[in-house]
Amino acid sequence: MIFLSTKRILKFSWQHFWRNIWLSIVTMTIIVLTLFSLTTLVLVNAIADYAVNSVKDTIDVSLYFDNSIKEETVQALEKELEKIEEIKEITRVSPADALAEFKEVHKDDADIQAALAELDKNPLGGTLILTAFNMDQYPLIMEKIKELKADQLAEKIDYNDHQKLIERINGFSNKLRNFVLALSIIFIFIAVLTVLNTIRMGIYIHRTEIAIMRLVGASNWFIRLPFIVEGLLYAIFGCLIFWGAWALALYFSGDWINSFLTGINFDIRAYFNSNILNILGFEFIIIAVINMISAVLAMSKHLKV
Amino acid sequence: MIELRNVSKTYNNGTEAVKNITLHIKPGEFVSLVGRSGTGKTTLVKMLVAEERPTEGRIILGGWDITRIKTADIPMLRRQIGVVFQDYKLLPRKTVFENVAFALEVASYSKKHIQEAVPQILALVGLEPKANEFPDELSGGQQQRVSIARALAHRPKILIADEPTGNLDSVNTREIIDLLLKINNFKTTVMLVTHNRDVVNSLRKRVVALEDGKIAYDQERGRYIL
Ligand SMILES: Nc1ncnc2c1ncn2[C@@H]1O[C@H](COP(=O)(O)OP(=O)(O)OP(=O)(O)O)[C@@H](O)[C@H]1O
Ligand SMILES: [Mg+2]
Repeated sequence: MIFLSTKRILKFSWQHFWRNIWLSIVTMTIIVLTLFSLTTLVLVNAIADYAVNSVKDTIDVSLYFDNSIKEETVQALEKELEKIEEIKEITRVSPADALAEFKEVHKDDADIQAALAELDKNPLGGTLILTAFNMDQYPLIMEKIKELKADQLAEKIDYNDHQKLIERINGFSNKLRNFVLALSIIFIFIAVLTVLNTIRMGIYIHRTEIAIMRLVGASNWFIRLPFIVEGLLYAIFGCLIFWGAWALALYFSGDWINSFLTGINFDIRAYFNSNILNILGFEFIIIAVINMISAVLAMSKHLKV
Repeated sequence: MIELRNVSKTYNNGTEAVKNITLHIKPGEFVSLVGRSGTGKTTLVKMLVAEERPTEGRIILGGWDITRIKTADIPMLRRQIGVVFQDYKLLPRKTVFENVAFALEVASYSKKHIQEAVPQILALVGLEPKANEFPDELSGGQQQRVSIARALAHRPKILIADEPTGNLDSVNTREIIDLLLKINNFKTTVMLVTHNRDVVNSLRKRVVALEDGKIAYDQERGRYIL
């Protein structure tokens, strides 16, 4: 019996949807725009996080040694540094490796090649590159380096925490995020008004039917549920339409969008592929809740029992 | 079957539509409710189907005190009382069959039950051949018969007809009244609200007359005197 009622309620909802098709289309359009805005919000957040993280990944401390320092000394220091638990990884570049790399980088520069050929001794010293488990540990690592007097041994210590860059990325992305958030809230507000109006119209169009349903003893949920399901139908179709369009857009212009993001190595397709369920769920729940709240609001005002 | 005890109804605007009415209608009775316009007949009908609540007094239907009925219970009540009105209240885009089936559909009856029950009811009101026609293809009397068929869909113990013949000529009126009598013969309690003097006088059944919200007279085998 429950199954039977469900089927009939779905039938009524479907009729509501179709008899009001123009308003249904307007409603779904607003829902699609709301979804676009929400997806942009998700995307802005993801790209900002990704950008900050990729900057954080480049943070390290480099200790450059003069070529007068023996390799054994550097290796001994490396052993000491390995005891610092905040350090995740130490990369040692030997003078020979440094020279090989230098030659490789400047292989097309005849002057430099010629100058190097003149030298009988390697002019470059070794380097130790330290990375921490996370960026907050660098100040501590710097202190420990000083305790080991490594700063006196090294010719130069290079530590850039990219604080300024991270702040700039965060500042910019926060502004963008707030803008898109405000836009999303406006769209959600318009969506609520639109769904409310559509369902209000639906109640008006079906007023005779509703009066007769009451007259013949239809239960209240039988009268009300079709409107709530109608709201859900807008949510479902709105999501399907938007996601279809979004998938097509990604398929055809994903490369083009990625070309703006090469600096941070962000792949928009990969991002959506791996987060699709979360994003779909998040957006569908928001849209479904908007629609059902609007339906309930419309009924509380226009469908008194 | 229908019991009103000292029932009064004052609308929010202060109109006293029904004043201290006490009335008892036995199961299987046929009662005509008569009276001039604005004497509270429809108000009484609305209170019986819980569309309006009495301001004072109690209403008991078949042992069920509906005076303070819960909103959630109203559908149950309406499945036990069939009501028809002067304007048939049919759905224009549904066929005769579908209009009657509608009452059963919204009450979660199975398709099988609907397919069996609707033709029986249509046969009872003499509309089986018109099952697939739309309301605007029918005469007024036929439309009212559809409305009666729908009111009977739940096999109610009580049928209330509020001026069912108000829009009909004398031939159609006669047919509708005969149909109500036929339904009454199947032990359904019938309450007929009417202005039609000839109908009341020819019925020779109980007549309750209202005047200014009060019972003016209540007679077995009564006549329309007002
Ligand atoms: N919803 C309402 N609000 C306020 N007053 C109402 C309402 N419905 C009816 N009335 C008033 O109550 C009184 C009784 O009305 P009711 O409809 O019961 O009369 P009636 O006997 O059915 O009349 P008629 O024969 O014309 O149908 C009238 O004075 C009417 O104006
Ligand atoms: Mg009336």
